Amino acid sequence: MKKLLLFLFVFSITLIIIPEKNGAAENLQAMIDSLEEGAVIKLEDKTYEGNIVINKPMTIIGADKTTIKGDGTGNVISIKAANVTLKKLTVSHSSMNRNSAEEYAGIKIHTNGNVLDHIKITDSFHGIYLSQAHENKISNVVIIGMGKGEIAAQGNGFHVYYSNDNLLSHNTIEGTRDGMFFEYANKNESYENNISHTRYGLHYMYSDENTFKKNTFTMNTGGAAIMNSNHLLLADNHFIVNYGNQSFGLLLLQANDNQIKNNTFYMNQRGIYIDQATRNTLQGNKISQNQIGIELWASSNEQIFTENLITENTIPAVTIGGSGETNFWSQHGKGNDWGSSFPLTDLNQDGIGDFPITYRSSLYQLIEDQELSYLFLKSPALAIYEKMNAVLVDEKVMFNDPHPLATAKGNHHFILFAAAGLAAVLILLKGRHLLCITFGRNGRKT
Amino acid sequence: MHYIWKEWKENIRGKGLWLALSIIVLISVSILVRSTALSFDKGFYVLLLNLFDTIIYFIPILCLFIGAFSIFQEKEQKTLIMLLTKKDSYTSFLLKKSLGLYTIVLVPILVWFFLYLLFLKFNFQLDMKAYFIFILAIVTMSLVFLQIGAAIGSFSRSRMQIIGYTIFVWFYFFFLHDFILLSFLSDVTYENVKLFSAGYFLNPLQSVRMFLETGMGVYSFGHMSRLLQAFMWTKPVFFLLGNLIFWLIASITTAIVFHRKEGFE
Repeated sequence: MKKLLLFLFVFSITLIIIPEKNGAAENLQAMIDSLEEGAVIKLEDKTYEGNIVINKPMTIIGADKTTIKGDGTGNVISIKAANVTLKKLTVSHSSMNRNSAEEYAGIKIHTNGNVLDHIKITDSFHGIYLSQAHENKISNVVIIGMGKGEIAAQGNGFHVYYSNDNLLSHNTIEGTRDGMFFEYANKNESYENNISHTRYGLHYMYSDENTFKKNTFTMNTGGAAIMNSNHLLLADNHFIVNYGNQSFGLLLLQANDNQIKNNTFYMNQRGIYIDQATRNTLQGNKISQNQIGIELWASSNEQIFTENLITENTIPAVTIGGSGETNFWSQHGKGNDWGSSFPLTDLNQDGIGDFPITYRSSLYQLIEDQELSYLFLKSPALAIYEKMNAVLVDEKVMFNDPHPLATAKGNHHFILFAAAGLAAVLILLKGRHLLCITFGRNGRKT
Repeated sequence: MHYIWKEWKENIRGKGLWLALSIIVLISVSILVRSTALSFDKGFYVLLLNLFDTIIYFIPILCLFIGAFSIFQEKEQKTLIMLLTKKDSYTSFLLKKSLGLYTIVLVPILVWFFLYLLFLKFNFQLDMKAYFIFILAIVTMSLVFLQIGAAIGSFSRSRMQIIGYTIFVWFYFFFLHDFILLSFLSDVTYENVKLFSAGYFLNPLQSVRMFLETGMGVYSFGHMSRLLQAFMWTKPVFFLLGNLIFWLIASITTAIVFHRKEGFE
């Protein structure tokens, strides 16, 4: 009898305790498995244990605090059926293992036509991984990574692999390796995403004909890196304060025939960095207050720069490792607006300067030979160095804009004028005390 | 304590401090007005960087002048002789005077930047750590240049000398120091990069800027080359501290060794 009671006791304990841990997961997975195709399931305001696999079309809608927490061994949610909709969920704790056969993610999508909306993903290797998945719509997703500096230990916000025609919009990505990584992925569209504190906000590899509009990149090591990708459209994006030693707003590396239009490049180490790229058109962009506006490396040919506003950069444009004269600085008689960087007259008032602008510089040699020269880009000494070298060293032509645009210039020095004005007024007020015109009566002999 | 009080009394009557402060106020308000179009969440960093880039032209020269004229005034009014005859050595006079200078310059600046924070709060999402680092950068820069100014005031014999030395020091740190380093840049190798780094961070403007930009998290040193790693052989905060200590000691020593008790006006 005692043995029987003991057995029952142990059995009941086992029944109560051990399955409890996975009970929710089994429940959620069981719940999903038990539903019919196209069903809608509303989850409660609590934490469900993952991982789960969705094998049939359905809609899962969470509440404000619905969380699906993975067990850290794989993908938290795997979508293996088409036309699945997920809404209002927090997903966390995928596997971080880098020695496994596959790279894991908070949500991994293997199928087409899925919709993800208002999802938050934390503590996962990749945020959302699209693997050969097409025509999905992903919006209002927030992905939080481990923070800047963690490169190898974590994956990307979006990892888009061999996936076409997807729409990614209004997403926020922070602190992951790359914000959005596209590999062999074509014809995807990304709108109004906000990406900060990553390595590269946007990273295209071998991905063609994608559209990228109205996105904002701040404080990344690199804003957008376009590598080996062609026929992209990047328009109305903001690349702001990508400020590190090797940082850039936009990198074009072996990327051809891309359209870069109406973007803002503001306070980056380099606004646009072009290496081994050809036939890209850069039109209507605002490139200001960067250390280097445009850095062109050798074998970058046939770029067209037209109607851009390039002003208040420490160096407007520099050509390194070769001549910049193989690129075109105007198109259809319209060059670029160089703001206050170069004096320009427009006597016939046709909006085009009366003479071409040719920028010569000796800095290319320094930048080419010594990477530490980037440390001096903010130094006022650089201007003196340029002036000295203008006399002593043979300068090279960095660019030649035959039709620079003439526009009304704003008064950017009003602070200095205001300060000088104030000083003048104070000095005039105190003018009759001649002993110390700078610091008033204090210095007067008694 | 009475040195601080004396310094305060003298400065509120004069125009130097108020002129300096009004320039700082004017610049920071102008930058704020110009920055109101920036985004709510990231505009704060852009504003601080722009503010720093502008204010860096003014604070050094204002602090140099305030420091130098404050010491020189003691010579002119013969109070220095009186103080030294009575009980103080020049060292103790200089240290007390410096303490007074620090207080009367930094307190109004800190008060202003506290008020400024309130204005910022209406426009941007604040990051208190970044702001604290910004304040620390401004304070350190002020300390260094006040002390150098005090040294200039100590060894100068006339107002013209003060103006000459001050402009030279300002010019040196703004242009000449970096220009000299730029001239040596092509000879920098992995073996001598630490020496170059020491030279680079000896410029208070560079070490303050590096501290600010890395501290605020906008300047990243990710993926550094071997050369750059050797260049950044310690944290920016230590470069800043080293710089502060070096210039304080150098200025105080120069002031004590080369001081002249009287001007010849």
